[in-house]
Amino acid sequence: MRDAIARALEAATSAGASYADARVVESMHERLSVRTGRVEGIESGESLGIGIRVIAAGAWGFAATADMSAHGVRAAAAEAVALARAAAATAHHAPIVLSPVDAYRDTWTGPCEIDPFTIATEDKLAILLAADEAMRAEAAVRVSSAALDFLHVRKLFGSSEGSLIEQAYTESQAGIVAYAIGDGEMLPRSYPNSHGGQAVQGGWEAILALDLTGNAPRVGEQAAALLSAAPCPAETTTVIIDGSQIALQVHESIGHPTELDRVLGDEAAFAGTSFLGLNDIDTFRYGSEHVTVTADATVPGSLGSFGYDDEGVPAQRDFLVVGGVLTSFQSSRESAPAMGRASNGCMRADGWNRQPLVRMTTVSLEPGTWDFEDLIANTESGIYLETNNSWSIDDKRLNFQFACEIGWEIRNGALGRMIKNPNYTGITPAFWGSCDAVCSPDHWQVWGIPNCGKGEPMQVAHVAHGAAPARFRDVRVGVGR
Amino acid sequence: MRYSLENARILAERAVHATHADAAEAVVTSESSALTRFANNRIHQNVAESDTRLSIRAVLGTRTGVASTNRHDDEAITRCAAAAVEAARHAPEDPDFGGLPEAAPITAVSRVSATTAGYDADRRAEAAAAIIGQSSARGFVAAGTIATSDYAVAVANTGGVSAVMEADDLRATVLSTGLQGGSGWASFLTSDAASFSPSALGGRAATTAERSERPAALDPGVYTVVLAPEAVSDLLDFLGYLGFGAKSFAEGGSFLTEAIGTSLVDERISIYDDALSPGTIGLLFDFEGQPKQRTPLIAGGVAVGPVTDSYYARKLGLPNTGHALPAPNPYGPMPLNLELAAGDSTEAEMIASVDRGIYVTRFHYVNVEDPMKIVLTGMTRDGTFLIENGALTTPVRNLRFTQDVLDALSHVGAIGSQRALVGPGEGGATLATALLLERWEFTGQTG
Repeated sequence: MRDAIARALEAATSAGASYADARVVESMHERLSVRTGRVEGIESGESLGIGIRVIAAGAWGFAATADMSAHGVRAAAAEAVALARAAAATAHHAPIVLSPVDAYRDTWTGPCEIDPFTIATEDKLAILLAADEAMRAEAAVRVSSAALDFLHVRKLFGSSEGSLIEQAYTESQAGIVAYAIGDGEMLPRSYPNSHGGQAVQGGWEAILALDLTGNAPRVGEQAAALLSAAPCPAETTTVIIDGSQIALQVHESIGHPTELDRVLGDEAAFAGTSFLGLNDIDTFRYGSEHVTVTADATVPGSLGSFGYDDEGVPAQRDFLVVGGVLTSFQSSRESAPAMGRASNGCMRADGWNRQPLVRMTTVSLEPGTWDFEDLIANTESGIYLETNNSWSIDDKRLNFQFACEIGWEIRNGALGRMIKNPNYTGITPAFWGSCDAVCSPDHWQVWGIPNCGKGEPMQVAHVAHGAAPARFRDVRVGVGR
Repeated sequence: MRYSLENARILAERAVHATHADAAEAVVTSESSALTRFANNRIHQNVAESDTRLSIRAVLGTRTGVASTNRHDDEAITRCAAAAVEAARHAPEDPDFGGLPEAAPITAVSRVSATTAGYDADRRAEAAAAIIGQSSARGFVAAGTIATSDYAVAVANTGGVSAVMEADDLRATVLSTGLQGGSGWASFLTSDAASFSPSALGGRAATTAERSERPAALDPGVYTVVLAPEAVSDLLDFLGYLGFGAKSFAEGGSFLTEAIGTSLVDERISIYDDALSPGTIGLLFDFEGQPKQRTPLIAGGVAVGPVTDSYYARKLGLPNTGHALPAPNPYGPMPLNLELAAGDSTEAEMIASVDRGIYVTRFHYVNVEDPMKIVLTGMTRDGTFLIENGALTTPVRNLRFTQDVLDALSHVGAIGSQRALVGPGEGGATLATALLLERWEFTGQTG
């Protein structure tokens, strides 16, 4: 790895790059999936390659190859420089200026108590098959699924400024879903979260802690009960949203619009821009006084954590929103100068073959003071919503609509009858402005989101969000119901 | 550089021979791709990559396991094959697995173009400049991409399958942003870059942006809509993802499951999957090396059936339509070349026939609220206009819709005569027309 890095940097600078960095990324993954009693897949894979990013003639070029031979690496470096020159020759613009960063020679390793790749396949399948079967104890659950995913990444970053940083981490993910089918409806119920479950930096210990088998009967029962649950009323009401859905709400309506590359227009044609502008820092009211949001790459065990980002900037904890007021953006070395600051370390790439982009780390709604039971008891009328089922938001991150798997009426301070297919919609600042309560650290946890798409060519980032249940007033629910 | 056809075939066959199992299958995908990305009227990313992935499926009785790698030395192939066999050894027997498919004749269609292959970084930069020029001349801002992909795919198995093909494509997109809230979008996808006119593409987006300046508010509600092909492609893609695959069909989670032979939508609606259709792109065989076939999904408004692969064809007693994705995957067989049969109306004729309605250039961030009724929600974007008395009049701020798509396709006013190829490229794309739909529910608007 070190030889490849040195070779890439030497070739790039020799070809005329004023700056170069190179990342060698070696990864291995394993996935086991069970569906309705059938082992659907047992697969594993590995990948190795190098991505070389350069500035030449004032523009970026990036080339990546799986050919790790000396010739292959040098050719990729030369191609990166040629790409930069091509970009510069026909698109006149101010040369790229990077915010300063020290040169680091360091190593970082994520937490992992029990290496999941050492666990016998039979043991993994036993958990999946047991959970899958337990969900189907309910006859209405006609389809069930359970899956485990493991990833190990080892990467080495070097730059022409003298950094050489080696990092390694392991990710573990698990989830189960029961699908109740009847009367033209298919209603999912998931645990511990939808869209693949929960994902963390950690090992087999994290899977055991989820107790998939123990939770499966409840998941199946709730899925079956949804078929006869009440439809979501179409009204404007108070909603209390569980932590996992708050995590996605933060992701879509705070995480993405505070990415500085979106603010500056670099993602306009694909993911979109942001309703926020550079001048909004320290003045824009994002939400109520209860809304404080951090971007933190130092949270232990989070998918959003690392020692250094993919341009060698140390992991940091920054405040994006304090007491409802916007205070910062997630940035890179190139974009940070636009707000007169140094990078807060949010550049991440989806593997060796992608150029880093501004990506979320662990973007969290900081906990409040409420006990969950007290919050329900304090709510006269409304709906309690759990677990995301669908998400959509406009290109400026203002107009959103989320559907959840399940809800319960709240009447006179108590949870009432179950509601199926609940959804809600809103406009970002008004929605966060209506937040009048956030639950305490006792109810706060970090949710991994391993499927955040952005960029062209598409990149899928593994990010995370800390969240606790929170309450919002005057929210429109039951849209299109 | 990607592998040649012959080297891709050799690698796949090496992998099959290295796999000590009852049966084995290898899939090689080798690709060189490049993408020039521009925003704020400048190129801000210029990237290229090359990679070759090998995936091996090992079969022991009715047990299967899969392993993959992007290393191709003997040791790596041996390790990958052993991992696949080891996975199969741990898998339970699957009585529905009928073995790997046998070789079948594949229709030869050229999917490579010398012009596309020659579309290098300098050509892409020139194209970006031409696109940008159409916006900057109006004082507008352009963003978008010009991307090329050149790939070879080889599939081999112990049953005699040895399928190989190569293809390339070019995709360009442009978003033009005006000075007073207007924006316009245009995209282009082709296997032959000779037909690509960057300035025309840039001009189309900039013209729409100009026309959509100063958008007005409009009350949400049920409107007649004219959807441009790019918006229609979203609807087709979700129908394909949620309902046209044999897996959801077999599980009872598809709108097709209880509807075969019954009228599902307007009788003028016919939807096919056809990788051999003139003008489309993508693979001529699936990831089991089986030939893709023109597969009717909805014909004259009547539900016909799903696409299949070898597993679901056997399980359901249906023909294998050649729509396997790489094994294993959570989706089952999928249609990658959907097309809506053309009608007889031009887009101008559709607009002229509407007293009051909305024209939609494209949707943004569409997602599923009900997977069986195909209730979708999403936003309009980059060119939404009020139609009054047969003409586009006021540009409209972006609207959110929440709509039952099958219901919308049951109230068709007209179907476009011109089809556009829409999609991300690499493996497939959707041939869509414009559609005039009599009822479409907008449920919100960004203020």
